Amino acid sequence: MLDAFEIITTSGIVLWRKHYTPVSSNVINSLINDVFIEERGGQKAGGQDGGTNPPYKKDKYTLRWTTGKDLGLIFVAVYQSLLHLSWADSLLTAVRALFIKQFAPELKNPNVTAIDARQFNQTFDALVRRLDTGSTRRPSEPDSDVGPPELTPPSSTVSAGEDEPPPLPVSASATFKKPAIPERQKEDVAVIDDTTSADATPVPTPDTSRPGTPAGQPVSGVLVAKGGPGKFSRRARKANSSMLSNSAPASSGDESPARKPKGGKTSVKQKRRWDTDGGIVEGDDEVLDYSASGPTSAPGEDDRDFDLTDVNADEMGSRTRKGEFVLKDLDDEINAILSSQSTSRASKTDPSAESSGLLSSASSKISGLFRNVVGGKTLSKADLQQPLQQMQTHLLEKNVAREAAERLCTSVETDLLDQKTASFTSIDKTIHESMSKALTRILTPTSSLDLLRNINNTITGPTSRPYVISIVGVNGVGKSTNLSKIAYFLLQNNFRVLVVAADTFRSGAVEQLRVHVRNLSELSQREQVGTVELFEKGYGKDAATVARDAVTYAGTGEGKRFDVVLIDTAGRRHNDTRLMSSLTKFGQLANPDKIFMVGEALVGTDSVAQARNFAKEFVDTKGQLRNNGVGMDGFIISKCDTVGDMVGTLVSMVHATGIPVVFLGVGQHYGDLRGLNVGWAVDKLMR
Amino acid sequence: MEQQSVLRDWATWAFSPSLSVIVVTVLITLLVPLILHYLLHRQSDSTDVPTFLLIGPSGGGKTSLFTLFTNGTLSTTHTSQLPHTATCRLPSSTSDSSDFESEVSPRNSEFVLLDTPGHGKLRHHALTSLTSPSALKGLIFVVDSAAVSSAQGLTEAAEFLHDVLLVLQKRYVRGKRTVAVPVLVAANKQDVFTSLPAGLVKSRLEEEVGKVRLTKSKGLLDSGIGMQGGAGEDDGDEEEGNWLGEFGAKEFAFAQMEEYGIDVAVVGGRLKGEGDEAGQVKEWWDWIGGNLSR
Repeated sequence: MLDAFEIITTSGIVLWRKHYTPVSSNVINSLINDVFIEERGGQKAGGQDGGTNPPYKKDKYTLRWTTGKDLGLIFVAVYQSLLHLSWADSLLTAVRALFIKQFAPELKNPNVTAIDARQFNQTFDALVRRLDTGSTRRPSEPDSDVGPPELTPPSSTVSAGEDEPPPLPVSASATFKKPAIPERQKEDVAVIDDTTSADATPVPTPDTSRPGTPAGQPVSGVLVAKGGPGKFSRRARKANSSMLSNSAPASSGDESPARKPKGGKTSVKQKRRWDTDGGIVEGDDEVLDYSASGPTSAPGEDDRDFDLTDVNADEMGSRTRKGEFVLKDLDDEINAILSSQSTSRASKTDPSAESSGLLSSASSKISGLFRNVVGGKTLSKADLQQPLQQMQTHLLEKNVAREAAERLCTSVETDLLDQKTASFTSIDKTIHESMSKALTRILTPTSSLDLLRNINNTITGPTSRPYVISIVGVNGVGKSTNLSKIAYFLLQNNFRVLVVAADTFRSGAVEQLRVHVRNLSELSQREQVGTVELFEKGYGKDAATVARDAVTYAGTGEGKRFDVVLIDTAGRRHNDTRLMSSLTKFGQLANPDKIFMVGEALVGTDSVAQARNFAKEFVDTKGQLRNNGVGMDGFIISKCDTVGDMVGTLVSMVHATGIPVVFLGVGQHYGDLRGLNVGWAVDKLMR
Repeated sequence: MEQQSVLRDWATWAFSPSLSVIVVTVLITLLVPLILHYLLHRQSDSTDVPTFLLIGPSGGGKTSLFTLFTNGTLSTTHTSQLPHTATCRLPSSTSDSSDFESEVSPRNSEFVLLDTPGHGKLRHHALTSLTSPSALKGLIFVVDSAAVSSAQGLTEAAEFLHDVLLVLQKRYVRGKRTVAVPVLVAANKQDVFTSLPAGLVKSRLEEEVGKVRLTKSKGLLDSGIGMQGGAGEDDGDEEEGNWLGEFGAKEFAFAQMEEYGIDVAVVGGRLKGEGDEAGQVKEWWDWIGGNLSR
């Protein structure tokens, strides 16, 4: 069952929440961090299509979420990963529609810091009960033997009548995608039912329902559960119906209708199980439920199945299943909301289509142009399409990989869709700003790397040991060069550096490093700074073993002679699995504190694959990726001086892995190593 | 058809050399700039409300403090993704339960509170808003006093604080008519068992900021320098400009910031209390009140 449900604003304030069991707020915080801020694994916070968001797993929980982008809302459902809550998506969509509907006026206020959402509890409870029962069905089937026999006869009868599942999906999908006629009819009917039920139900509820319960006898548990939803739904419906008439339709009308019907269908079957499992049974609820059903179908009272079928027949057959009246009410409510939204939407579009008059179209165009200049224009997908295409081309020209450029543009689009441009800001400028922000966010590391501090912390104190840095990369990107640049930088800070030639493969690799080390030690002696030495075992040895030996040598021997160990590795093609797999062993044996990958700024689209393939090789002995599941600790982008403005490789590599860029190689000299200034990079990319 | 003829009539009139057309044209020419100016001017006026900025590493309690100050009640919060502004009012001694003795007259007891996200990737929001609002009256740097007791939390807080103070210092040095910006380091979560008292938070932060300052000065230049041109012309000044506090001083102390008009106060408090007891934020209110009336 559901563990928690929260409605959060993008500024971090919880507007409404319901916890069934205590759930640490860390769970949701990590969802926000990983999915919304760091956008890990290419997961996008979708705008309107909430249900398609992939679930996020954290600890033992699975989180599903949807967003109300225009209002800056995030809806999160938390449940145990062991359970399979297929209805969570429909719940999210339904809650989003209802919540936005109910609190639209308050939410529209940009400075809202809290709203009194207590009244939403009832709506939510009703919603959960209806959907929940359906969802639990699957898990309950195996464990509860009693339930199935009871259930089966009704379901079979129902199915024979084709009342339960078939009508819902078919009608829903048909209505949504194709002509609106069936949907309209159905919705209209639903609305009518709603009103009628509202009038009729309240009176009989408590009394009638009591008699109804005993009839259920063996199935009492199930019945009870059903009753719950009924009571709540009625209340909620009342509350909402009042809201309905007044408030304008909120966003996200499109998806929700399609989704809801689905949810409804699943809910029917699952309801029963949930009751038995979850044990969320309220006596009062039962009474109410039956009362509702009682008046409609008197004969069916003793048998649930009969009730259901009858009800279905009366209505559209979609929501009744076993939910009876109460359920119907809720469904009606939801459907009414959705229908009102869709109709309003339709009415919006209709006039524009019909009014093809010369003046009106001309004036709308003129005002569109004017708004483009003056601002205050609400951005639609059509408005954004062309400038975004331009922006994407611009990024591609800056050597950003297509994949990364597309993702950036999508994120800008979801960011800006349905937003209003600021005054005196054109669409292009708005997109430009939004893209700058997206780039800044993607390039800014979550925690800045202060290498010197890290080294100092490692080599001092009781548990001191040498700090190990290793460098990997494709052939010819400048691994050895950048390694000697880092060595130079460390020498300037008076560290004792051991350079390890773990490239035992390419001829001349060791000699190359020897030259570097000779130059560096010459320089450092002249400047009276740190000392540097080369550790080499010749060619043909296993690189991982060499590296391990070097670390041991640096840390022991005549009392910890070195502060930092820099390990150079052989260059390898990222799609050569044989060579790449040896990296895993290398990472485990040498166990470096930092693994930096060198990528050259010259490479284009391939940078994405390079970064991914290298990152995935660094797994520890437990099979977990190093460094919190990202594999490596940073990128060194070499040859930045050769590409001018086209520094898109930075973005591509960070985008692919979420690993930050720590250094840039900007020249031929030992001192030509720079930290990354995000503002500088964004400026170059956007210029 | 009718519309077209109307349009044609109108166009014919608009291009005719009659007096009325000339008058209308002249009026439009004169009035449009005036109206535009009026609109723009009105917008720029509205930003003159004193602003306080909430800043600090993630998980310190910024947004909680924000809701407490704006609503009077504490809301549950999660990691923020976007900055958020709201208007607050100082609690008067009579109306509010916290017996705050206001020296501020109620008419100017309103201020704008700006909450910023503390996540590492989103700090540009905070750092850009540091420089933009001209009426910035103060900065509240919220730290989790419990997190500061661990090395990692301390480093994160100190690095952020270092960056913030450096931005303020540069703003003071370079700006022409800059006003000094006081900084309140709010040592939050004093109710947590492992939290450090405000005095200890202060000394630890000072020590750590000193270390950060040292390694930053020794670290690599960042790519913005030297590649953009212009910045490299005065290397000596640049180095001094990037040094927080008194140049060359070994130890860092918040007192060194006074030279740049940055008055740093470290005050403990807590948002959540034990049981029904409310949190203690009176001293923070006092600080805001004191700086608001300045």
